[in-house]
Amino acid sequence: MNKISRLSSVLTKVNTANGLPNEHYVDPDTFIEEKHTVLFANWSGIGFGKDIPEVGDAKPVDFLGMPLLLVRDRDGEIGVFQNTCRHRGMILVSKPQKIRGAIRCPYHSWCYSLKGELRATPHVGGPGQNKHDDVNLSDLSLVRIRSFVWRDVIFVNVDGSAGAFEEVHCELMERWKEFDVPIFHGGETSGFKLDVKSNWKLAVENYCESYHLPWVHPGLNSYSRLEDHYNIEVRDQYSGQGTLVYRQLTDHDGETLPDFAGLSDKWEEGAEYIAVYPNVLLGVQRDHSFAIVLEPVNQENTVEHIELYYATSEKDTPEYDGLRASNAQQWKTVFEEDVFVVEGMQKGRHGELFDGGRFSPVMDGPTHNFHHWVATQIEIGRTG
Amino acid sequence: MNRDELNRALLGAHAREEQIELVRLYTLAAEERERARDTDAACFYLTHAFVFALECGAPEAIELNQRLADLGRIHRLAF
Repeated sequence: MNKISRLSSVLTKVNTANGLPNEHYVDPDTFIEEKHTVLFANWSGIGFGKDIPEVGDAKPVDFLGMPLLLVRDRDGEIGVFQNTCRHRGMILVSKPQKIRGAIRCPYHSWCYSLKGELRATPHVGGPGQNKHDDVNLSDLSLVRIRSFVWRDVIFVNVDGSAGAFEEVHCELMERWKEFDVPIFHGGETSGFKLDVKSNWKLAVENYCESYHLPWVHPGLNSYSRLEDHYNIEVRDQYSGQGTLVYRQLTDHDGETLPDFAGLSDKWEEGAEYIAVYPNVLLGVQRDHSFAIVLEPVNQENTVEHIELYYATSEKDTPEYDGLRASNAQQWKTVFEEDVFVVEGMQKGRHGELFDGGRFSPVMDGPTHNFHHWVATQIEIGRTG
Repeated sequence: MNRDELNRALLGAHAREEQIELVRLYTLAAEERERARDTDAACFYLTHAFVFALECGAPEAIELNQRLADLGRIHRLAF
């Protein structure tokens, strides 16, 4: 049974607010409600451009049970379509593959271009007759899902109701304008995923606050102390944390990874880690960035897809392979240290007398900002 | 290649998912039917040749589309 939660205690200032009620973490019906009001109604991350690097690359993605298809077309643009044939509803592409000419449905061979246009309807008018007056090709293109690629993350707005991505996220894009330079995925060692027994929101909540760093990441805290961090929170948009003491990784020869070009002094020792609501976590540093797409599996399980990017390509700078691998390992250790926390909070959410929790008015602003945003989306969905 | 041999070759090409070979063999099958003045059957095979050519991006797709369009069996596509 869907227990309609009261969200007024979330939608107040951090000093006195409660967190989202338990239903938002353990109730399958509330998960379905959030699927529509939070994840489909906004710009959610579903994948990475690096997964379809070449023209014709196609990758099916299951997003909350909805079959989607990522395609790189002949113009090099990324498109996202519903992975469902317009004829009998057959799944079109069931595994990653290279489309050399057209996407052919494996059932009756209706064919689509890489831009989703219907190109062939074999025998639609009878054997050997491939057209019919009542079947108009231009009416039957694949259903295109609104998409936008930023920092190599493929964002989609499934229900089409959100504002344009560049408008919704204009402030964040402006904030990180200096990082709007070519980024290169670090290769095989620079991508990994973590399966966590946790609601997807708990990964966001943990990511965007620095309060836990000295307790959960003591190694990180040895040089990056709590007081060297600052909160980032923009109401109704995004939140996260920044550090003033980012220290580059060095190898045994004292070498460091190349910096992104043209950064200002702020980023010499500065770095920022921001949750792009609802489900994308980004980090930027002078010499690398990363993106995490949280794949909500159900109310109790999430897959964290983590990819790291650099200022130079793996192909052009093999001399940095070792540093890239060490850097990825360092982050993997940090993110794995967080697993027990998000899984522990998930278990704790089954405590039926838990009231959603109280926030530290000083330290938990970014987390409350996220709760406030989620609650707002749900209220919008409930009131229409 | 007689019809039995062609059928066997087609089944083999399907099993091996050899699209270029399917284009070639279905075109042969169509031409055999054209010689027998069986236009419907010829268009059936031409359709298959065209679909596999379109799928794999083979240049034959242009000519096959034209042949079918000339017979009123398909919309002429821009390539």
